[in-house]
Amino acid sequence: MSEFIEQFILESRELVEHANAALVALERSPQDAERVDETFRAIHTLKGGAAIVDFFAMERALHAAEDALSAVRSGKRSMTIGLVADCFACLDQVSRWLDTMAQSGELPAGADSQADTLIARVAGVGVQSNVRPDRSHENLPSHLRTVVRFTAPSDSFFRGEDPLALIAALPGLQSLELAPVDRWPALEELDPFECRLVVTAFSSASADDVGAHFQGREGECEIRTLHSDGASILTEHARKLLEAQIALLDETQAATFVGRVASAGRVAANVLRCCRQVAAADLIALETERSLRENSAAALRTAITRILTPTLEAAEPVTAAVSQTSQLESAVRNLRVDAQRVDELVRLTAELTVVKNALGHVLKFAEDNDNAPVKVVANALKRPQGDLDHLIGELQRAVLSIRVLPLRFVLQRLPRLVREISATLDKPAQLLIEGDDTEADKAIVEMLFEPLLHIVRNALDHGIEVPKIRSERNKPAVATVRIRSSRHGSHVLVEVEDDGGGVDVARVKEVARQRAVASPETLDAMSDEEIIQLVFAAGFSTAAEVTGLSGRGVGMDAVRTAVERVGGRVVMESRPGVGTVVKLMLPFSVMLTRVMTVEAGGQMFGIPLDAVVETISVPQENIAGIGAARAIVRRDRTLPVFELAGLLQGREQRFETDEAIIVVATVAGQLGGLRVDRVGERMEVMLKPLDGLLTNLPGIAGTTILGDGRVLLVLDLAEVLQ
Amino acid sequence: MTVTISSNGTIQLSGFCPVEDAELLLQHLLSAPQAVVDWSACESAHSAVIQVLLVARVDPQGAPKSPFLRDHVRPLLIRAGRSSADVSAA
Repeated sequence: MSEFIEQFILESRELVEHANAALVALERSPQDAERVDETFRAIHTLKGGAAIVDFFAMERALHAAEDALSAVRSGKRSMTIGLVADCFACLDQVSRWLDTMAQSGELPAGADSQADTLIARVAGVGVQSNVRPDRSHENLPSHLRTVVRFTAPSDSFFRGEDPLALIAALPGLQSLELAPVDRWPALEELDPFECRLVVTAFSSASADDVGAHFQGREGECEIRTLHSDGASILTEHARKLLEAQIALLDETQAATFVGRVASAGRVAANVLRCCRQVAAADLIALETERSLRENSAAALRTAITRILTPTLEAAEPVTAAVSQTSQLESAVRNLRVDAQRVDELVRLTAELTVVKNALGHVLKFAEDNDNAPVKVVANALKRPQGDLDHLIGELQRAVLSIRVLPLRFVLQRLPRLVREISATLDKPAQLLIEGDDTEADKAIVEMLFEPLLHIVRNALDHGIEVPKIRSERNKPAVATVRIRSSRHGSHVLVEVEDDGGGVDVARVKEVARQRAVASPETLDAMSDEEIIQLVFAAGFSTAAEVTGLSGRGVGMDAVRTAVERVGGRVVMESRPGVGTVVKLMLPFSVMLTRVMTVEAGGQMFGIPLDAVVETISVPQENIAGIGAARAIVRRDRTLPVFELAGLLQGREQRFETDEAIIVVATVAGQLGGLRVDRVGERMEVMLKPLDGLLTNLPGIAGTTILGDGRVLLVLDLAEVLQ
Repeated sequence: MTVTISSNGTIQLSGFCPVEDAELLLQHLLSAPQAVVDWSACESAHSAVIQVLLVARVDPQGAPKSPFLRDHVRPLLIRAGRSSADVSAA
């Protein structure tokens, strides 16, 4: 994708968000002139951006909305909820276009008809006098739209014709190729007045325009539209061969460049000739030459891709259906970084260089003075070591701060979805967002979209009552879903609150019993709060009927899994008849994890401090056996105790000491004790996910390297205690 | 004259080269195969002239005045001239 388009997408998203915010306010007070101005300005700027990237469909759609708003500003018409909805529709469409562009890097296909629909919608009441003429055809890549292969008759020169002069006047001429009818004769055998030229010319004009140019010479030329008929004639086999050439080009390395490009070009051209795509084959030959000349496979690759393009377009609905997550991922792959943060990195780099030089001096001193006492060298090293320590700490913080994003990046997509969902369910609802400038690590923000969407869907689907019941309960007709986010130390709290009917505890309990989520005894012993948390249990879904939205087997347990994967927690609180709150407590950053080291079975492990409640030492005899398990009584509660080494290595361990050291940890709301040999230090580590052979190792969350070079395995307590 | 030979043996194409120039150019090239062709003063050339240059694999010196020749035909002649250089080098 060009940087230009990237920038356009980035800026447009911000403007859409801005306009959406103003429209939400207008929805409540349509007469707020300031909001009308705000919306108008944002839409106007968006439109300007669209014009710059030649996205005429978007420009037209926004122009219609802008006209309508302009009429409101000048008092010619009044602001209505209908117009707000029309503007929302325009912005939603723009968002979808931006999503498509972010994925493909190209202007979205079919945008013109979508724009027409929007314009018709807005124009139902708006002013439509100066909409741009339909320039949809100009949305196509203007470069190389038509190719003509012109074989001049051999007696052309005798007849006083100049074939090249005809080509020189071809509309939209981009490039050409001259070849002999069969092969060039030797110079001494050449009849200078016999025309042997075959001209292949590529034009940016349409096939019709090119055809008009060759009027009366139809028998001498073959005209093809490069864009639309190329792939339709290609057989599946041919297409595969062409795709294989692209793959070949992609893996081409310097040493094999010439051979591979020439070969890929030859094969592609032959495939096309075989499919009677002579003109396209000529294009490939031309681009192969160019690739070889420019020493880059790009030209040939683009040409083959372009020939395959119509197929890609046909497949577009499939790509458009790619999950929103992947769209989101590509959307937030671009980071807008505060220039100050970059300056900070530059400064740190400079300081690190200074330390590096200082170390160089010490090294030289040690080399030059064979008898220099170790003590002196060590002393000389102390200062740079201290500086290094300090600087690396700063560097770590600076790098982390670059990865920080406001939650707005995910929250801004929700209003549109809430509108769609509430319309589908016929439950009028508004979404209020507070604290969307709360920041968190990019990885956290990225993972948040799907869980949030699921929670919001769940709220609308199951939490919010149908309008009839709401009116019976004297609740406002329009339900409210509120998302609040705030920073709490090293955590970010995101709350999703609805004003629905709350959780039906009895029903949850009943379903849990039916689906054997927990044993009847456990269920009976559980408090209402604990029962409510069962909605997060695997395989739980309270949907009485499976709606198209939630209750499709992916229950709230998906939310819990996603949140716990990044070290977060999720709880649900409910007040019957008043509403439900789902609270997500997420770490600010997934990169730094606070761990405590413990030793068990002669090996050192890390335990995430988040899970640790306390470390206690109890006399050996206080550990009572209950069946095969062991437990202690702690603050009047029975606490199960497991031997860490036993859990990990699967064998019993003999403890020689009188005192047992137990780490009390909480896992999924349950307390448990882990018996260890020794408790070590606490530290902040960068947790590396397992890779290679270790990927599927159970019970291990990740690894980190200790100061002495040893690898510390950090435990995933939820898995260990399962 | 639109096809002339300068004192150092360079074949010069200038002005508007008509179809007849093809024959003349071919004769010159046959008699001096290594001759340099200069077309920097050329304002247009008939297809027949271009055809001779292509067959002779001549990469003419300079950029012709006609934008069409300069932008579209010259790259093809450069390529043909280079491939002839490759052949002779081999």
